[in-house]
Amino acid sequence: MGEARRIDRRAFLTTSAGAAVAAVAWPARAAGAPVRIALTAAAVRDELPLYDRWAAYLERHFGRPVHFVQRKTYHDVLELLRTGDLDFAWVCSYSFTQAWDAGLVDLIAAPVYRGSPTYRSYLIVHNDDAAQRLDDLAGRSFAFTDPDSATGYIIPRAMLRAGGRDPDRFFRRTFFTWDHGQAIEAVAERVADGAAVDSYVWDYLAAKRPQIGRLTRKIGQSEAFGFPPMVARRGIDAALAERFRTALAAMPREADGRRVLDEMMLDGYVEVGSAHYDGVRAAAASAGARADAQPPSAL
Amino acid sequence: MSPWRPSSWSLAVKLPLIVCLVVAGVAGVTGFTVIQKERIELRQALAEKAVLLSQWIAAASAEPMMRNDVWPIWRSLRQVTSKEVDEGRDVLTAMVLDTEGVVMAHLQPGLNPIGLPLHTDGDETRLLERALRSETTLVLEDPAGGFVEGVAPVVGGGKRLGVARVRLSTRVLAQAVGEATGLVLLATFGLALIGSLAGIYASLRAVRPLGRLADAMSSLARGEPVAVPVRGADEIAHLSVTFNAMAAEVAEKQRLERELAQAEKTAALGRIAAGVAHEVNNPLAGILNCLSTLRDHPKEPGLLERYLPVIERGLLRIRAIVQDLLVEQRAEHASEPCGPECLDEVRDLIAAEIEGKSIALDWRNELPPDTMFNRQRLQQALLNLLRNAVQAMPAGGRLSVSARREDGVLVIVVEDTGVGIAPEDVGRVFDPFFTSRKTGTGLGLWITWRLVQSLGGTIEVASRLGEGSRFTLSIPLGGPDGSIAD
Repeated sequence: MGEARRIDRRAFLTTSAGAAVAAVAWPARAAGAPVRIALTAAAVRDELPLYDRWAAYLERHFGRPVHFVQRKTYHDVLELLRTGDLDFAWVCSYSFTQAWDAGLVDLIAAPVYRGSPTYRSYLIVHNDDAAQRLDDLAGRSFAFTDPDSATGYIIPRAMLRAGGRDPDRFFRRTFFTWDHGQAIEAVAERVADGAAVDSYVWDYLAAKRPQIGRLTRKIGQSEAFGFPPMVARRGIDAALAERFRTALAAMPREADGRRVLDEMMLDGYVEVGSAHYDGVRAAAASAGARADAQPPSAL
Repeated sequence: MSPWRPSSWSLAVKLPLIVCLVVAGVAGVTGFTVIQKERIELRQALAEKAVLLSQWIAAASAEPMMRNDVWPIWRSLRQVTSKEVDEGRDVLTAMVLDTEGVVMAHLQPGLNPIGLPLHTDGDETRLLERALRSETTLVLEDPAGGFVEGVAPVVGGGKRLGVARVRLSTRVLAQAVGEATGLVLLATFGLALIGSLAGIYASLRAVRPLGRLADAMSSLARGEPVAVPVRGADEIAHLSVTFNAMAAEVAEKQRLERELAQAEKTAALGRIAAGVAHEVNNPLAGILNCLSTLRDHPKEPGLLERYLPVIERGLLRIRAIVQDLLVEQRAEHASEPCGPECLDEVRDLIAAEIEGKSIALDWRNELPPDTMFNRQRLQQALLNLLRNAVQAMPAGGRLSVSARREDGVLVIVVEDTGVGIAPEDVGRVFDPFFTSRKTGTGLGLWITWRLVQSLGGTIEVASRLGEGSRFTLSIPLGGPDGSIAD
């Protein structure tokens, strides 16, 4: 991993501060046009050396350079898929259903996490907070991840609805952090009293950054939903999609791939069908839309 | 030197003390003026910093506030105020409020929840009201002095959306002032120390020579002129040079006086020798004349009977002169101390001499018993005066003698009712060989005068022809108890 392949960390900070684009191109190593893969809030995005290694692994399989592309919101990533500026994307489960239903993407594979291609929504509060269940957070502040996030928005709203609550009035104040890690940080810093986050991200951060695990506490979790999948823009070269599928499937068997998986705390990739995400579709149907849930780029 | 009266302190103490106090005073006043100025400037800088930070936060908050997106506001709030940005800064708190005072982001989010009005009371409420009213940037000060606050309005889309407030602790200020105060105190102390050393040096340079000068002057007053060392070319050196010149002049004068006295002594000796020669020569001439006549006329009867008494008279006179001179010589070199009773020995002597003469002796010795004086010289001087008085009263009379002590001076008054001294002779009575009587050698009063002079005293004479004379002897007694070591 050469230093030149690293993504400049400061470029990421700018992304979170403004709505600006922070796509960083590696220097070309393999011949040919780069393969562009988008990362979203579904992944832990600030582990840059890890993505350097993953890119190196994939470049070996593609025989072409690999660019990881970052966007602040899921919405932005869907737009890139729409305009054809992406080849692949790791999207949230709810974004996937939207994109699939709009005919924008094809499924490549879903990560296997703790033996299953599923994840949950965790309800977390500050470690010092007395709240024991979702009802205890009534009238308090709450951090959502992204209006297009299943675990960080759709699922908690659906849970409130299921309990007969109006998700638009239940909390005193809600806001979006546009990232699961930052939703956890908002709770850890007590900016928000509670948050709903991706179980994979919370487990990952709790394992890798113990201080976050110490400062926040899980007080509830949803049923299991399909894990955010890797998708291909509909209409890309089938051979390229197949090569990607093969590369992902081969990761557990190859040393560099295994190493990346271990670091990501994933077991591997498995092919799933669209029906794997029906639970997300159902939750989205019952969650209801929200007027002010507009991503910054929509303004 | 009283410790409570500074005016009595030695210059060697006062000089270093004054220099030390002046230096310390100047250093202290200068130092604390600088500190005061520094404190004002630091406060100004702190206030500017607070305003700058609030402006940054306000600028970063405008866009998120317009879309009600509070998380980026909090992120920029924390980022701008993070210790990593500026180590020396001490952010007490920072916040972004909307125009109603509702918290959009607060650096202590747990105590100041998002979406609720900022909870305040007392002074805090007044500060909040001023911050919310402000259309421009503003500096607010803690009534208790603990912080300065920068306030900047958040403006977006041509509208005032809220306000950003940043509070910086003045602790760093107090710390800087504290450090500076320590330095000033150290410098003041150091300079005072240097000042004291300078003062001590100055006193060594100035006061010690002054002390030496004072000692030398005392010594000069005792008649022992000594020179002082001259160093440098300052006023004290000038004074020392002048003093040395004066001391040298005094020494020269003393030398001249000694030489003069020696010359006078030699001259007096010469005069006495001449007098003796003259006085001895007269009877000798008569004797030789008699002898020559006797040799020329050995057979002439009656001549021997006539001349022998003349020869005898001449020889007796010569013997008297020689005896007087021997007495003077003996007395002048004697130094046996004696008390008041020695005067009474003189009384006994003169009482024996006036026996058979109609002279009344009135003797009053009032000297205290501890009075000590030179036995031979005083006895001889007094005896000569008394004999002179007795000889002045061939027809009898009264001889009064009184001795007393007055302020360490032995005063003896000898008074007779004799023939007195002619006014034209009063000035010559102490000259050697001056006499108004045929039988006198003219040496008695001269010897008295010499003895009294050798004792450091004076002798005065008052006389009226035909009525009598009064001689007053005044002799200083040496020690404080009236005695003399001589």
